[in-house]
Amino acid sequence: MEKIPTATDDRLLDYLDGKLEGAALQQLKKELESSSPLQARLETLRAVHRALAHAKLESPSPAFVNRVMQNLSSVSFPSAWSPQNGLLLLVGVMVSAGILVVMISAGIFDQVQGVVSLEQVSPVKKYFQQSLPVISINGKLIINIIVGLNLVLAFLVLDKTVLKPFFQRRAGAHL
Amino acid sequence: MISLQEENELIDRILAGKQEPYARLVENYQRFAFTIALKILNNRPEAEEATQDAFIKAFHYLKNFNRKARFSTWLYRIVFNTAVSYKRKNRTILSSIEYHDKSDETEQSLEKNDKQAFVLKAMDKLNEADRLAIQLYYIKEFSMDEVAELMGQNMNTLKVRIHRARQRLADELKKMLKEEALTL
Repeated sequence: MEKIPTATDDRLLDYLDGKLEGAALQQLKKELESSSPLQARLETLRAVHRALAHAKLESPSPAFVNRVMQNLSSVSFPSAWSPQNGLLLLVGVMVSAGILVVMISAGIFDQVQGVVSLEQVSPVKKYFQQSLPVISINGKLIINIIVGLNLVLAFLVLDKTVLKPFFQRRAGAHL
Repeated sequence: MISLQEENELIDRILAGKQEPYARLVENYQRFAFTIALKILNNRPEAEEATQDAFIKAFHYLKNFNRKARFSTWLYRIVFNTAVSYKRKNRTILSSIEYHDKSDETEQSLEKNDKQAFVLKAMDKLNEADRLAIQLYYIKEFSMDEVAELMGQNMNTLKVRIHRARQRLADELKKMLKEEALTL
């Protein structure tokens, strides 16, 4: 018996699923009338379709909802923001901020200064006819901003991993 | 079934610190969630445990649910992942139970309807993903979108997977019927 092409199989399956319509449906019906291998294939696919169509939703045991509700509070899930991870991150942030502060006080960034003239940046110059300002860069200021941001980050980490869980636990203990 | 509006109200109340409204969500989705776990694990007690774990996880991570998708889609994904990790953990134990359960089922069905029993037997020859896709696709309460979402596939890939799985089942059925005819 000749092998039915995959594309034809797909059309037969679409037909069984009720997804074939219009000209495509008429065309398949015409082909089915004149081809017994195609009819045989449709019957086999139909048998599969019918066998699977009995699938239904299954039910868990009757006490399932109660069991879930009873276990809601007894199980806790570790958060990525565990106190251990948070403290490690906090130490890392504080150490890097400390190193930067030491470097600033040693005057390492005092010499890092410069100017950037926007006139020299050709793509910018192309769009502006007027004279463009000169931007001065102060290395010490930039590092100070970085240290500041580090300290804000350190505070957020401290709040999320240590302070908030601590106060939540304390509030829970009073309920 | 609960409406989308009621579902959102329940979620709001849970996020505000109440536990009781969650019972309504569990009640509403327990059959869907359990069916997914059962199709993956093929073992009722194991599936019930995995479903319970998934509901507890969903409760604890509810604040991460961003409401862009439906709650059901988000929950089914958790159930799917939980059941798959159960399956990985207990693969060896389950495979023996699974085989035993199915053979019993097939024996009973053989008397009822040969073709149906052959198709169920042929399901064993499909890989796990194809089997799951086809089983969920035929449960009318699950939409194709939901099956695709929970299996982490796009719609076209899932459609092709379901088509190929049914073609394979049809080929197996034909072979089995031929063999049976020869033995008569």
